[in-house]
Amino acid sequence: MKFAGLVVKSARRNKRRTALTVISVAMAVFLFAALRAVLDGFHAAVEASSSTRIVTIRSTSLIFSMPTTHAETIKTVAGVRDITWANWFGGIYKDPSNFFGQFAIEPESYLRMFPEILLTPQEKAAFLEDRTGCIVGDGLVKKFGWKVGDRIVLQVGIPIYGRQDYEFTVRGIYKAGSSAVDNMTMLFHWKYADERSIVKNQAGWFVSEIANPDQAAQVASAIDKKFENSPYETKTDTEKAFQTTFAAMFGNLDLLLGSIALAVVITTLFVAGNTMAMAVRERTTEIAVMRTLGFRAQTIFLLVESEGLMISVIGGAIGIALARALVSSETLPLGGFVPPFGVSTLNVVVGLLLSALIGILAGIIPAVMASRLRIVDALRRVA
Amino acid sequence: MGLISNYNLRSMLVRKGTAAMTAMGIAMVVAVFVMTLAIAQGFRSTLVASGSPQNAIVLRKSATSETVSAVLKPEFALIETLPQIARDAGGHPLASPELVVIISRPRVTDNQPANVPLRGVGERAFQVRDSLKFVEGRRFAPGMREINVGRLAAGRFAGLSLGSDVKFGGVSWKVVGIFTADDASFESEVWGDVDLMLDAFKRNGYQSATLKLIDPSAFESLQAAIAGDPRFDFKVEREQDYYAGQSLVMTTVIRVFGTFVTLILSIGAMFGAMNTMYAAVAYRTREIGTLRALGFSQMRIVTAFLAESIVLALIGGVVGCILALPVHGLSTGTTNMASFSEVAFKFRITPTLLAIGVLFAGLMGAAGGLLPAIRAARIPVARALREI
Repeated sequence: MKFAGLVVKSARRNKRRTALTVISVAMAVFLFAALRAVLDGFHAAVEASSSTRIVTIRSTSLIFSMPTTHAETIKTVAGVRDITWANWFGGIYKDPSNFFGQFAIEPESYLRMFPEILLTPQEKAAFLEDRTGCIVGDGLVKKFGWKVGDRIVLQVGIPIYGRQDYEFTVRGIYKAGSSAVDNMTMLFHWKYADERSIVKNQAGWFVSEIANPDQAAQVASAIDKKFENSPYETKTDTEKAFQTTFAAMFGNLDLLLGSIALAVVITTLFVAGNTMAMAVRERTTEIAVMRTLGFRAQTIFLLVESEGLMISVIGGAIGIALARALVSSETLPLGGFVPPFGVSTLNVVVGLLLSALIGILAGIIPAVMASRLRIVDALRRVA
Repeated sequence: MGLISNYNLRSMLVRKGTAAMTAMGIAMVVAVFVMTLAIAQGFRSTLVASGSPQNAIVLRKSATSETVSAVLKPEFALIETLPQIARDAGGHPLASPELVVIISRPRVTDNQPANVPLRGVGERAFQVRDSLKFVEGRRFAPGMREINVGRLAAGRFAGLSLGSDVKFGGVSWKVVGIFTADDASFESEVWGDVDLMLDAFKRNGYQSATLKLIDPSAFESLQAAIAGDPRFDFKVEREQDYYAGQSLVMTTVIRVFGTFVTLILSIGAMFGAMNTMYAAVAYRTREIGTLRALGFSQMRIVTAFLAESIVLALIGGVVGCILALPVHGLSTGTTNMASFSEVAFKFRITPTLLAIGVLFAGLMGAAGGLLPAIRAARIPVARALREI
């Protein structure tokens, strides 16, 4: 510890170089934390999904609907406690680029089965009463500046819902109680859409609540059995499996983001390693003098290593602070397809550890160079 | 210029380690840059290859893609009669009514279910889309529960090989042929008889109609004919434009993402180059003084050091391109957000992309070298010469 002053002094010797390196590391750690945060968003949505909810879709795919009469049949399956359904609406708000999820839900049962959708009792009552009412997530509200009582007009995006525009009144703004619920969606009465649909009584998917999560697989296959060989065959899975499928639609995210993160680290290693090598080369004579005065080789090694570590960790701290302040699903809207994300405490710790690692690795070669200097040669050398 | 450029190049060689590290930092950035753009490029060219200049697609006016469009049977019968459509030897119009639905099949790699587009096509679809060639088996027979599978879909999803039975829409279908389509997105699809698909999926109409024109220039008159006919609520697009439009969302997302990542990363690498150049200037203060004393102008010094930095970065850029090259041709898949189904495509590194990568490296070198070069030129000659 007694050498701390010396380390700081050495780092400040060439302020511009140190500053440039600090910023380089900061950028890298910022990027790393941002990528991690997005990836964690996907994983969190999978992790937080309920184990007592199972989802039934058409075996062909999510975008096909099936009759709501399936609900009655599913209810008769042993182990199913409660059921609700929803449908994808796919409307256009002013411009197709304003994409966000809109779901036609069976309101009462849906809100009952998704307690993670947090609404005040007044808002909930107002929504349930108004056939053309809707509730919107607080993330969406931030993006479009809506408030309770506002009117929202959606153009029809899928021809099945008729041709006329749909008008809604915002009756409530919900918060997401867990990552299983997206705060960037709009929910409204299924009945309202059904009235104008060309094909009546259709549901995109059913969500059933099961009594015992351990029986999820049995209950799911029992449900699918009921509809086997009907024109509307189903595929039932846990909410978790459903979310995993959704994340997998983007392709191999882990691999893609992982390799970018690796490239970031390697690039930064080159930059930081180079800086330390330059710092050592510049101080060749000085280091020789220190060795002559009795500083041991290990001490020199540790001094150089500490300097690299310090520069890198300062950069890491700046980068992570920036990421924490700037990166979240509200500040970086990624088209509405990505689940909510933000830089978590774990991301912060990992980012700092990463910068420490970069500092240590970048310092190794220069530190070895410095500690192995032959005093006589070094003193003789003119820089 | 000869002496001074020789001097700069050789000084770079003197400090191999530092120069190599700087170049490698830039190389990594260029590699990431080229690879992400290769994804966008591959995805786009796969979709664009799906369109032929001689083909046009008819969709419902408000539809943004075929999956949300509707063309009813009697409407298709009317479209077929338009004179701009090419005809075969027997006088039949080369038009294909189509329906795209999605079936779920497990991927071979991770056994996860993925959405595979299933395209119901008309009898003459293979004449309309003449780039399709069969590598195995034959085309499906109209009216039979037979299907053809694109080459990429056959390799990517389980149970789609020649001769296997595939169950969807409540009935079983036999795979009778595997086709290629010049790398177009059709290679990720499964094709079958459209009228049987309508029955199987309880649909009451087609989604779109693809027409082969008598000549690419007939498009304008077709467009006018459809817009002017009160019986039609349709729009017509050139097939190529349609598929380019379909790729837009995804390629934009990838490009924005790739640019964001590389920009931030390039700041790091640029600062690395800056450090290196500042150090180079500091080491050579005396030499710079000598050059100035010999009569080299400040401008010459600036250009010389700038050139050194740019050469260093260009070397990095070339190395980065070489690092990125192995991904070329690698096949991967992603979801086409416009149709919610999986499209397989290959990373595509084009000469233009490589040129952009190298150019980008050069820019990093120029930006990183400018300030140190100016500093080099500003050193007072007398002080520089006095320095040890």
